[in-house]
Amino acid sequence: TAVISPQDPTLLIGSSLLATCSVHGDPPGATAEGLYWTLNGRRLPPELSRVLNASTLALALANLNGSRQQSGDNLVCHARDGSILAGSCLYVGLPPEKPVNISCWSKNMKDLTCRWTPGAHGETFLHTNYSLKYKLRWYGQDNTCEEYHTVGPHSCHIPKDLALFTPYEIWVEATNRLGSARSDVLTLDILDVVTTDPPPDVHVSRVGGLEDQLSVRWVSPPALKDFLFQAKYQIRYRVEDSVDWKVVDDVSNQTSCRLAGLKPGTVYFVQVRCNPFGIYGSKKAGIWSEWSHPTAASTPRSERPGPGGGACEPRGGEPSSGPVRRELKQFLGWLKKHAYCSNLSFRLYDQWRAWMQKSHKTRNQDEGILPSGRRGTARGPAR
Amino acid sequence: MSCSLAHLCLLTLLSPPLSSAASISPAEPISQAYSLALYMQKNTSALLRTYLQYQGSPFSDPELQLSSLPPATAFFKTWHALDDGERLSLPQRAFLALTQHLQLVEDDQSDLNPGSPILLAQLGAARLRAQGLLGNMAAIMTALGLPIPPEEDTLGLAAFGASAFERKCRGYVVTQEYGHWTDRAVRDLALLKAKYSA
Repeated sequence: TAVISPQDPTLLIGSSLLATCSVHGDPPGATAEGLYWTLNGRRLPPELSRVLNASTLALALANLNGSRQQSGDNLVCHARDGSILAGSCLYVGLPPEKPVNISCWSKNMKDLTCRWTPGAHGETFLHTNYSLKYKLRWYGQDNTCEEYHTVGPHSCHIPKDLALFTPYEIWVEATNRLGSARSDVLTLDILDVVTTDPPPDVHVSRVGGLEDQLSVRWVSPPALKDFLFQAKYQIRYRVEDSVDWKVVDDVSNQTSCRLAGLKPGTVYFVQVRCNPFGIYGSKKAGIWSEWSHPTAASTPRSERPGPGGGACEPRGGEPSSGPVRRELKQFLGWLKKHAYCSNLSFRLYDQWRAWMQKSHKTRNQDEGILPSGRRGTARGPAR
Repeated sequence: MSCSLAHLCLLTLLSPPLSSAASISPAEPISQAYSLALYMQKNTSALLRTYLQYQGSPFSDPELQLSSLPPATAFFKTWHALDDGERLSLPQRAFLALTQHLQLVEDDQSDLNPGSPILLAQLGAARLRAQGLLGNMAAIMTALGLPIPPEEDTLGLAAFGASAFERKCRGYVVTQEYGHWTDRAVRDLALLKAKYSA
């Protein structure tokens, strides 16, 4: 048998190591002659070894690389016949860097999940243990998060016993054999990082025969219904075989929206997400939920494509932000002041559009939206 | 009076049959044990591969042995001539030792390779299967009226204070021997299956 010294040393990358293999015991008269070293199974060049005395073989390694496996590099002293006499595991690496980019969110104010990034250079070659700690800012002792890897390798989940209306201090400690590092402290109030579930029951349906519109309806997420908050929603939709989403922003406190300016006879995928805005009367936004499962619907067929859109169409008479409608609104406003047609309204406009689309189907030729000179010849809606 | 009679009846129901006459057929437990051993055999090389992957350099030294584990190898003639009692009690002792050693390796590896859930899961599964096989073999022994060897502590005091390399080595020996004993158990049970098939 033999003994290697040092046993299981921990070393910095680039450092040197002097090791010895001392034989003793059986067979009696065993010498250092014929012994050799391997590192991770590869025989080391003989010029690195030196016989110190009759029973000791020395090894000089310089400029060590990071350990090939986290359980340590295997430095082995072999007898002349190749059998293993002794071994030592070398742990070569770097101390951990300060973890950065801690971000946290609370689902329905019930828990807290945090994510972080390990320090800039990542690879330490040694097993590095991360510990997420938190405490109430003005009071109490440090707590340690226990449920790790919930949303990726550097994450932790705190499932309960969280206070509201009071700031928490959160930080991450990284430790390995060569040292430890602590991230900067993140201070937050649970109420500022609330997210919720995506809106359930998203339904998309056609709007009568209108070939460029679809109606989206949803339910506000039930989990937060007892807490006073205004929900903000965002809708995104895309054509079936496209990857470009159109986003409808600023959908405040409604649970329905009409998408306009769509292509006829096309399948659309629609998703909705929710932001619990202004919990308990705060003026701040929360964190957007995940998008709801995609719901699909198709617009009715037609020959005439419509212009692009990006906002919810009004159900009745409210102004919206499409360019044509904006101009129309201005025109109607002017008309009201200067002309006789005071019954003109958006409702009337919508009715006219629906009628136009229906009657276009029976015609052979396509014209623009407001064909000049044709209005008088066709039958319009009664006044 | 009737109370003590009932008590006596209950006692005879609970105690195992004293005679060695095979009132329970051994064919069923033998078949179950054989199926389990075959299933274990399919996974032993994967376990060894995973183990070596996390330790580093190949431990190709056949000399490595642990005195606390009985070796699986035996001379063919001797092995073939074993009676039922020895044929079952030798693997029984071996797998008992293996369950204890596998627990030790699992503990060692959770320290040496903390970020390797796959390896730890495979070691855990191997240990549970070995325990299952012990149960199956005990059932066979009961069916054949053989005494089940008592559980003993096979690891003794040598377990603590080992260096990282020593722990890697003994884990290698254990996973290897686990493979060897599984191969042998398949052969032992195949012989018994042939002998006691209906």
